Amino acid sequence: MPAFSTELLVIGGGATGLGVAWDACLRGIKVLLVDQSDLGQGTSGRYHGLLHSGGRYVVSDPASARDCAHENEILRRLAPSTIEDTGGLFVSAPADPAEFPDRWLAACRETGVSAEEVSVPQAVQREPLLNPALRRAFRVRDASLDSFDLLHLLASSIRSAGGQVWLRHKVKSLLLDGGAVIGAEVVDRSNGESKRIGAQVVVNAAGPWAKGIASLAHVDLPIALGRGAMIAMASRLVNTVVNRCKPPSDGDILVPVGTVCILGTTDEAVRSPDDMTIAPWEIDLLLAEAEVLVPGIAAHRALRAWSGIRPLYRPAPSKGAETRDLPRAHTILDHAATHGVPGLVSVIGGKLSTFRLMAEEVMRTVAPKLGAPSICATARTPLEPPGRAYHRLPRRLDRVEHPTSAAPASVICECELVTRSDLEAALRSAESADLDDLRRDLRLGMGPCQAAFCAYRAAGMAVRAFPTSAPDGGLCDFLQERWRGLRPLAWGHTLRQLEFSRRIATELLGLPGTGDGS
Amino acid sequence: MIDLLVIGAGLTGLFASWLAARRGARTMLIAYGRGGLELSNGCLAVAAGASPRLAVQRSKRPHPYALIGVATVERALDSLLTLLDGDGLPYAGSLDANLILPTASGRTIASAFAPAALASAALNSKQPLTIAGFTGFRDFDSALAARVLGAGLQRSVASVDLPLPGPNPRRDQYATDLARQFEDAAWRETAVRAWRPSLVGTSLLGMPATLGLRLHQSVWQDLQDKLELPLFEIPTLPPCLPGLRLEWVLRQACQREGVDFLEGARAVGRVERRPSRARVAGAVAMAAGGPQAFDAGAVVLASGDFLHGGLVGRQNGLVQESVFDLPVVHHSDRSTWVSPHAGDTQPYASYGLRVDASMRPLDPGGQPMFPNLFAAGGVIAGARRAEEGSRQGIALGTALCAVEAALA
Repeated sequence: MPAFSTELLVIGGGATGLGVAWDACLRGIKVLLVDQSDLGQGTSGRYHGLLHSGGRYVVSDPASARDCAHENEILRRLAPSTIEDTGGLFVSAPADPAEFPDRWLAACRETGVSAEEVSVPQAVQREPLLNPALRRAFRVRDASLDSFDLLHLLASSIRSAGGQVWLRHKVKSLLLDGGAVIGAEVVDRSNGESKRIGAQVVVNAAGPWAKGIASLAHVDLPIALGRGAMIAMASRLVNTVVNRCKPPSDGDILVPVGTVCILGTTDEAVRSPDDMTIAPWEIDLLLAEAEVLVPGIAAHRALRAWSGIRPLYRPAPSKGAETRDLPRAHTILDHAATHGVPGLVSVIGGKLSTFRLMAEEVMRTVAPKLGAPSICATARTPLEPPGRAYHRLPRRLDRVEHPTSAAPASVICECELVTRSDLEAALRSAESADLDDLRRDLRLGMGPCQAAFCAYRAAGMAVRAFPTSAPDGGLCDFLQERWRGLRPLAWGHTLRQLEFSRRIATELLGLPGTGDGS
Repeated sequence: MIDLLVIGAGLTGLFASWLAARRGARTMLIAYGRGGLELSNGCLAVAAGASPRLAVQRSKRPHPYALIGVATVERALDSLLTLLDGDGLPYAGSLDANLILPTASGRTIASAFAPAALASAALNSKQPLTIAGFTGFRDFDSALAARVLGAGLQRSVASVDLPLPGPNPRRDQYATDLARQFEDAAWRETAVRAWRPSLVGTSLLGMPATLGLRLHQSVWQDLQDKLELPLFEIPTLPPCLPGLRLEWVLRQACQREGVDFLEGARAVGRVERRPSRARVAGAVAMAAGGPQAFDAGAVVLASGDFLHGGLVGRQNGLVQESVFDLPVVHHSDRSTWVSPHAGDTQPYASYGLRVDASMRPLDPGGQPMFPNLFAAGGVIAGARRAEEGSRQGIALGTALCAVEAALA
């Protein structure tokens, strides 16, 4: 079995794991990160796209609110191209608790979360589809953050700083030596090959899968999993993040992300980190709650639904509490101290908005073990060349409309304006031809037609770039993933879209579902 | 006064209108969209399996085939095939065996009848096979098609990308753009000259279905002559030329027979309720310039399924028929409509109207809703068209049955 060695092994390619690896790189630590599938395939890639102002937590969790407000400003400096500065509103609906907004505003003042009351007509002028019967409105520093862009930026920064990121490597076992963790055995899922990685410290940042990783060292992590459903509407509908100004509950936020608007979210306790089902009541509830903020929204076209799993630290005493009431703040466990297992540190919970801070705290525990510098540099080291502006929606259109070369751009995915050269470049740097990875990288197939056309085109390109890829270039698997997102919303326009996609797949392309498909 | 009002401009509506007008009925066709034929591969699939005829004969109620019988299906096909043949778009095939045809993904589909250019695929020929694509044309990939087709046939299939002559287009080309270029003889000449070196040693060539629209037959023949190769077509992503050619012939035939077209108008059904009996009076066309009412002796509803707007699913679990609000066979729990896997049987796909042997939609008690309202095609319940490979057989057979009952 091939053997590798590193100082720090990070398990999990979400924001937390990548943040830890990046922080370690800046301290001069030799780092290797593994993920069982792709960057952001777990919780980080399945969120609603919000860069928190902190407003959501000022009443329920003031410490988190402070962290959010602080990290929000830092991230705007570190990775502006991944952020769209939409601004945010907290609005109070007629049926919401009338006394809450004053309490909320006072809590904002106490926690240093910037909030400014605006009149409802002013709010409606800014967002014309908002319910004019709202009671009160406040402006906050919310923004939308493309997590796929952020994760890719982190991974490329890590790689250029000398760190390694191995995707599609699943941890099979932790290497133990007299009770201490000294590395891991991983399986390369692209070819089934096992590899042995020796490490002085292993950081378990596997999110909802962290319990499973810890159990490999016989450590029982008390983790509760809360599943949240989200819906992407086919158009932006609002240009500002809109939050309900009331205690946290289901369906209390609308986030404009790229060309869509995301309705979030629900909270269901689940047992398995792979339980991504969405119940009809969750969809109905999200639409009904959004209707309070934007009357008529349910008549607009819904694009796709998905769910993400929040891993939350739940030590024994709060057993039985609803997952939403658990603190959202993160927990770092040095298992040398907690379970007598040296060499393993777990990080659980937290939010995408505070990933950098979590990583800094993890490294505060890990750096001394490796004799590395105690000073964290992530807050002052941009992830991209300075001077790049905030993410701007029309950038892709601009590139297609004003090509730099004589030949006009060939557009493979019309909905998301993914060009042939985008795809070719991504395939050149990809380790495998997984269309779902290309989707996360480029937004391929994420628009209104949900890959009805581009799946076929991209599969052809994948076959050309990777002669060893699946015979159909991953076409059927990719279409099945899109199907999964359309299914919970299958009525009206979305049912029509779903049938359109199926008609092309079965009757024009002969994919399974037809009588004689061979 | 119109004898027959047909609602819908897909294969069903166009075929029904042509049949009715040819029998001397004053026929009008109202359609909101342009019909589904640009999404169609142009094939006339009747049933998958060894013998389409046997599959139709063995169908059980409530399958529409069990209501109309194989003789009606065969008569419908015969009249359409005769029309196509006479109008220069000959089809090949038979009701007794399926043609096996390659697709752009390299997998195959089965169809009783197919346009000659598709049917000559001759997958069982032992000749070495080459699949050609066009450089930069997104909607057909020769490498993917050749790879999957080769794996299915268990022999090697070559692929080649041919350059498209002329200056760089200002945007991506669709199959319809290429079809227009193929109809230009000078362009074809240039193309063939550019392609010859890449095709040395090729003995059988498959190409994306882009070889002309109205002049298809002569374009196809001319290319085979110039390349000195047998050549067949494989349907592309939409817009799909074989379906558009079929549409063109049917529209020409309808116009020849004097069918009145009112397009871009949403039809709303009109019902006349008399004390003795209720009947359909016609429809109101919601057209530019305002609603316009049309009286008709009978109506054939060929408005299609969910894809074409004939059926609409609602968030509350209701499925509605969009013109007359007829009762639709469906499950009232919307979470059961769609299967978790795209490749599985989809319950929603067989929802639709329950009809009698004359294609009259029935009320929940099993009685015809109206004596002079008939349904045809995708709006009818009880068939799993994708899995059965029965879409066009049902469309044509029910259209003939409905028209004959309506004009009786």
